[in-house]
Amino acid sequence: MTSLRRTRTVLLAGVLALASVLAAGCSSGGSSASNKTTGVTITVALPTAPPPQASLDAFTKSTGITVKWTNIDWDSLQTKIAAAATAKTYFADATDVDWSRVGQLSKLNWFYPMENYLDTKSLATQMPQISSFSPNGHVIGIPYDASFLVTTVNKTLFAKAGITTMPTTLDQYTADLRQLKSKGVVQYPLNIPFAAAEGLSTYWYQTTAAFGGTILDGSGKPQFTSPDSPGYKAAQWMVDAIKQGLVPPGNINVPDTQAQQTLMAKGTVASTFADYSGNVGSLYNVPASSSVVNQVTYLPTPGVSGAGPNMSNPDGIGIPRQAKYPAAAAKFIEWFTSAQNQADFAGANGPDKVMPGYFLPSQLAGVTQLNDKGKLIGGDELSDLLKNSAKPIFQQGAPSWYPQFSKAVYTNLHAAATNSMTVAAAIKAIASTANELSS
Amino acid sequence: MPRRRSWGRRLGVLFILLWSLVPLYWALNTSLQTDAQIGSKPAHYVPPSPSLHNYRALLGGSGEIPATIRQSTVNIFIECTAATIITVVLATLAAYAFARMTFRGRNVLFYAVLATMAFPAYTTLIPLYRIMSVFGLVNTYAGIVLVYVSGFLPLATWILHSYMTTLPLAIEEAGQVDGAGRMQILSRIVLPLAWPGVVSTAIITFLFAWAQFLFPLVLSSDNSTQPLTVAIAALQGRHTVPFGLLSSAGVFAIAVPAVIVVFLNRYIVNGLLSGSVK
Repeated sequence: MTSLRRTRTVLLAGVLALASVLAAGCSSGGSSASNKTTGVTITVALPTAPPPQASLDAFTKSTGITVKWTNIDWDSLQTKIAAAATAKTYFADATDVDWSRVGQLSKLNWFYPMENYLDTKSLATQMPQISSFSPNGHVIGIPYDASFLVTTVNKTLFAKAGITTMPTTLDQYTADLRQLKSKGVVQYPLNIPFAAAEGLSTYWYQTTAAFGGTILDGSGKPQFTSPDSPGYKAAQWMVDAIKQGLVPPGNINVPDTQAQQTLMAKGTVASTFADYSGNVGSLYNVPASSSVVNQVTYLPTPGVSGAGPNMSNPDGIGIPRQAKYPAAAAKFIEWFTSAQNQADFAGANGPDKVMPGYFLPSQLAGVTQLNDKGKLIGGDELSDLLKNSAKPIFQQGAPSWYPQFSKAVYTNLHAAATNSMTVAAAIKAIASTANELSS
Repeated sequence: MPRRRSWGRRLGVLFILLWSLVPLYWALNTSLQTDAQIGSKPAHYVPPSPSLHNYRALLGGSGEIPATIRQSTVNIFIECTAATIITVVLATLAAYAFARMTFRGRNVLFYAVLATMAFPAYTTLIPLYRIMSVFGLVNTYAGIVLVYVSGFLPLATWILHSYMTTLPLAIEEAGQVDGAGRMQILSRIVLPLAWPGVVSTAIITFLFAWAQFLFPLVLSSDNSTQPLTVAIAALQGRHTVPFGLLSSAGVFAIAVPAVIVVFLNRYIVNGLLSGSVK
């Protein structure tokens, strides 16, 4: 009996000890941030390979901050960011802030305001895309790689169809696509990735901008319900394109990157209306993966009556609230996003300094340096587009409910393309989702 | 009538085989082609000139990718083996206690353990992450192995319990009469008889552990503990998909489970069916 009582006492003590440890851990929030900026090691988690080791070593030598780099694919990284923030657990000192998640991340207060550490107002004059990371007046990420949607055309195929003057309006562009088809140059001239995935949503945003409109207003209300609205016309144009045989029927199940690799890079299609900036240099002009080397060029977005805007979808880097060394992380971000380093990463100063997979500097000075040295394919066009026409998809930053909205966009547009519903019904469903989420 | 049924069964089996094996074949086919061949139209249903260059890029040399894949292969073996050993040892003890010992609340406890299998694993992700963080076990082998053990223990206990209840009680009673204690009976009588069940449980646990992605993704921070499944996902580029490299990585990752399933499938079937017939 005494033994049983002792066992129970020990058990109870054990349970209480465990509970107190857990309670202490939960209440502490797991954060013990230090403002040290020398002699520390920070973890940087991004969905990309690291800069060259020599560059990182030079950073360590000048600052005393050692960088431990973790490369995680984009989807997995978003899961890690959410899990760590929810569990109030440290996993990195600096990590990815995607433009599409800015609203969520800001509302949940998962990242430090960057203006606490960097002169973001000065940076904004050199980084046009910083506005995509500034919801509610706080900058929660610094764009490290400029990415925006841009029209690409295979000028060799266009020339074969007798098109020597590149289209400047949507009407001309559509007529040219029809000419490419009717002359038998390619069976399906246009690439639209109709798979139910994020790439379809962004394609529609870019097409809507080309038609002269926006998707949502400042309070998140849909701007595309009227058949005369740019968003509605854009959806109709895209669905008509596949129904009229301008888009390969198989594109119903093809996502954006796959379509660029297997269709545009192989000359199967002649144009992608909403392509990634940087794809000409990093994909279409790479002989190992492309059969259209030196054939594809960037085009100012064909709009209703002239060049339209280019929607920005940049990658940013920020400091999560559970960072151990936020000040050191800020120093790294300042270094990582400097114009000189960005130009180096993009190949302005030799292959030794190139960061694999790096697209385009987010700082105008970096783009200029790259272009001046003749290292940027389509440099004049890209530089001009970044400076003058790259605009955020959502003026106030992506809303906190963006993932649900995007899902409604791509599932309904996909359904319209497969004839499962009309464009009107798809637009109605998307608008309904936006109204519900924003109210 | 029987002949028609036989043809129907054959067609059904053929359909299931194609459904299961064609994706695997396609991954193998893609892994043996160059990028240019992978993107050619029409697609090559057989590699036109089979090449191992994707496998060399994945495993050979001293580059970042081969180094990561090699380390993650070591990690997955350590984590799966440790989780399997600990799970089987604990499950054997638990199963024996539930099957043979009489104590108050035995059935309640047993069904409570089984009931944990009904919870979606993801509901425990954040609490487990928090606990591991508090105890400093994030990004350690111990943390990942502990989570695997906690996840697989109920199933392992159930399989072994089902197996042990089919064993004749008379032999154990004879051992008891001869003066053997509980642990002696377990180690010298029950375990030799239950060995096929133990092997089945070990194989099933190892295969389950090998297939894990989300938990090790969250619980590991870098390549020092990331298993192969997590490392492969990181091969995907930001704007491009390296089809050849990813396919070769996929084929490499399923090699071990495939060998286990092909050569030890009778143990797996035996384990999953244990207790279904008494």
